[in-house]
Amino acid sequence: MSTAQLIQGNEACVKGALAAGCSFYGGYPITPSSEIAEQMVRLLPKRGGVFIQMEDEIASLASVIGASLAGSKAMTATSGPGFSLMQEHIGYATMTEVPCVIVNVMRGGPSTGLPTSPSQGDVMQARWGTHGDHPAIVLAPASVGEVFDLTVKAFNLSERFRTPVILLYDEIIGHTRESVVLPDSVDITNRTHPDVAPEDFWPKEAPPAGVPPMPGFGDGYRFHVTGLTHDHRGFPTNDGDIAEALITRLHQKIETNLDEISEVETYMLDDAEIAIFAYGIVGRSAREAVIRAREAGIKAGLIRPLTIWPFPTAEVAAAAQQVDTMIVAEMNLGQLIGEVERAAAGATEIVSYLRVDGEPITPTVLLDLMMPGTGASS
Amino acid sequence: MGRNEIRIAGAGGQGVVTAGRILAEAAILSGSHATHSQVYGPQSRGGASRSDIVIATEPIAFPLADNIDLLFVLSSDAFAKYEPELGPDGTLIVDTRCAPESLNGDTPQYAVVDTARAVSGGQLVTGVVALGVLQAHTQCVDAEALRQAVAARVPVQHTKMNLEALDAGMGLVGGESS
Amino acid sequence: MTDVKTYLREWAMPHVLCPGCAHGIVLRSFLESVDQLQLDRNKVAMVAGIGCSSRLVGYVDFCTLHGTHGRAPAFATGLKLARPELNVVVVTGDGDGLAIGGNHLIHAARRNIDMTVLMLNNSIYGMTGGQAAPTTPEGSVASTTPQGNTEPNFDACKLLIGAGASHVVRVLAANPLEMTKVMADAMTHPGFSFIEIISDCPEYFGRYNKVGGGAEMLSWMAVRDEGITIPLANKSFVKHVPSSAPPSGMKTGVLHREVRPVYAGVRGEQ
Repeated sequence: MSTAQLIQGNEACVKGALAAGCSFYGGYPITPSSEIAEQMVRLLPKRGGVFIQMEDEIASLASVIGASLAGSKAMTATSGPGFSLMQEHIGYATMTEVPCVIVNVMRGGPSTGLPTSPSQGDVMQARWGTHGDHPAIVLAPASVGEVFDLTVKAFNLSERFRTPVILLYDEIIGHTRESVVLPDSVDITNRTHPDVAPEDFWPKEAPPAGVPPMPGFGDGYRFHVTGLTHDHRGFPTNDGDIAEALITRLHQKIETNLDEISEVETYMLDDAEIAIFAYGIVGRSAREAVIRAREAGIKAGLIRPLTIWPFPTAEVAAAAQQVDTMIVAEMNLGQLIGEVERAAAGATEIVSYLRVDGEPITPTVLLDLMMPGTGASS
Repeated sequence: MGRNEIRIAGAGGQGVVTAGRILAEAAILSGSHATHSQVYGPQSRGGASRSDIVIATEPIAFPLADNIDLLFVLSSDAFAKYEPELGPDGTLIVDTRCAPESLNGDTPQYAVVDTARAVSGGQLVTGVVALGVLQAHTQCVDAEALRQAVAARVPVQHTKMNLEALDAGMGLVGGESS
Repeated sequence: MTDVKTYLREWAMPHVLCPGCAHGIVLRSFLESVDQLQLDRNKVAMVAGIGCSSRLVGYVDFCTLHGTHGRAPAFATGLKLARPELNVVVVTGDGDGLAIGGNHLIHAARRNIDMTVLMLNNSIYGMTGGQAAPTTPEGSVASTTPQGNTEPNFDACKLLIGAGASHVVRVLAANPLEMTKVMADAMTHPGFSFIEIISDCPEYFGRYNKVGGGAEMLSWMAVRDEGITIPLANKSFVKHVPSSAPPSGMKTGVLHREVRPVYAGVRGEQ
């Protein structure tokens, strides 16, 4: 193990990406994500990788997809306005099953909003920002150390499932420095290459489920990639049965492997009567609030998804069965609370604490919500 | 002491952000957990500046300041902005130049800005002088760890000057507060 | 010479192009240029955007990427940087390359990324049904300019020279042998090569402007191309073109060539 170091979340993201084998970065400057690009250009070439600053965020993700198709592990990083521009190619990467990692360091929105303030306003955009029915894997780290871990996981999941993976954290986690001890090495997943000769590569029929093998451009396999609805050879078709089978498979390869994807942390939840549902930086406030509540004799607990999409419905439903009250705290006007309510299905009282003024939700306010006599605990 | 929240607030150019990083790094060298956060704004130069440092013996649940234990103020603007946010249990330390006349006489005051000017001819080492005061006044980190952290963070050609600034800050404490 | 059909994915036929469209002639010339250069087809990557011309990449037996509208140069940049040994060829149209994708095109040119861009200019949006493009000559009829286009049009080659493309050529689809030569030449140029190919769209441009079918449009090109000017390049034969329009056409041939450093991203010493 290395020694403890004081680094920002954005630096941990770069270190995680390099540990995971990232070899291409294409990006465009935007606050509060720019430290990722600034570190990448210094570190990536030394590891044999390539960095390019593109002309905009549309081009950034296009270059990432191009590099991934050539066999690289590739990523980009941005914030809200750039994330909006990237939606086009998030859909393209999903449809063409090209692995890539997109980091969105959230700031206040909509539009250019509050460039230097934290927010969790892009949670639904990360799920539904690109058009059409599509799956999404979105990871929400809550600490500098977790940024490292989940960046590695983002690369691994994107390689494993041939799909874009979004790492979603806010300005606070991006910029705050924390002491972390990073591992010397991490487990790495690589995409599956075809185990047949190039002349036998063209599949005879569509895979019923799962993830097809993926060669790279230049590997000797000549194939076609298109964002149009395509058949098993990758060629465009208007056949409705093929379209349905393709979209279904894209979803099922994610939904049937939730055990590999989904990660939920619970804290003091076993005997809790009141629980806080929170993610990202708010999960940190919630944890501190739970610690203080327990000191005050309140049976409080925390449920914190690290994977926010696919939403951990089963875990939230189980927690809802157990507690009397669930406080949903988000730095937006209520984005995941709808999912919590759907999962809870009336099994518990749900109280929200929402904040969009560019300031963090503090442990003190969450503690106050749990104290006897307040709305949440009465 | 489980958790100690320290805010160093001053003006842009005083080295407040660097001082905060150094303090957090010294805390880590002392075997504690630490976080450091700063305020980001659209301007690259000037204006108010602050560093929040959380030091704890246990892993830190919430990484930001929630209830400041100690506020160290290095400019009048920072005093006006942050002093009102300090709770009744919070400790205040001020630079002598920015202490208003109405200030409670028990509040520790140190000539940080003047000392920094004497050491460096300018304001760049103000934050490091403040670290010296802070260490001597509160023992929040180990003195030797702080020295190491200063040396590791500042440009090598400025190491000597910064260590002098640190020692000068430490020297201000111990009955000599003006 | 190899039969160019061996470079095609014949199973992917029939193709989507209309009768009389010259894009197929362009494709044949391209395949002949690849054959002339004896390129390893495993190392040829064709990258396209959206539109009639961009559909060509589906029919060729290379590594082919049919991307999003206008973004082909950006996809191609990532591909080339990650795999420098690939011969990267972008196929784009005038709407794809100059309207929605103009930004990506000029920046790839500015960086001098080692790629060849074939821009098939048929002066109209064909795939979406004949709407006006940034290349539609003033006065010409399109489905969105029923009274004649009132916007000025781009000179793509001037734009690309201004952006820093190190090799810029204009050629006519009516001259297939010349196209082959020009394309082979461009692919051996180190750096960013841009070839504007004056193609046709009899189905929309020809029909709306009553200038005949594919054969008539190509004949016009062949007759008017004297190697210096081509009135047809800006469609000045169209009767809607106001008399005040410049009488000369756009030049064909190599319009600019220089050798300057090729950009390959920020990378370590190999």
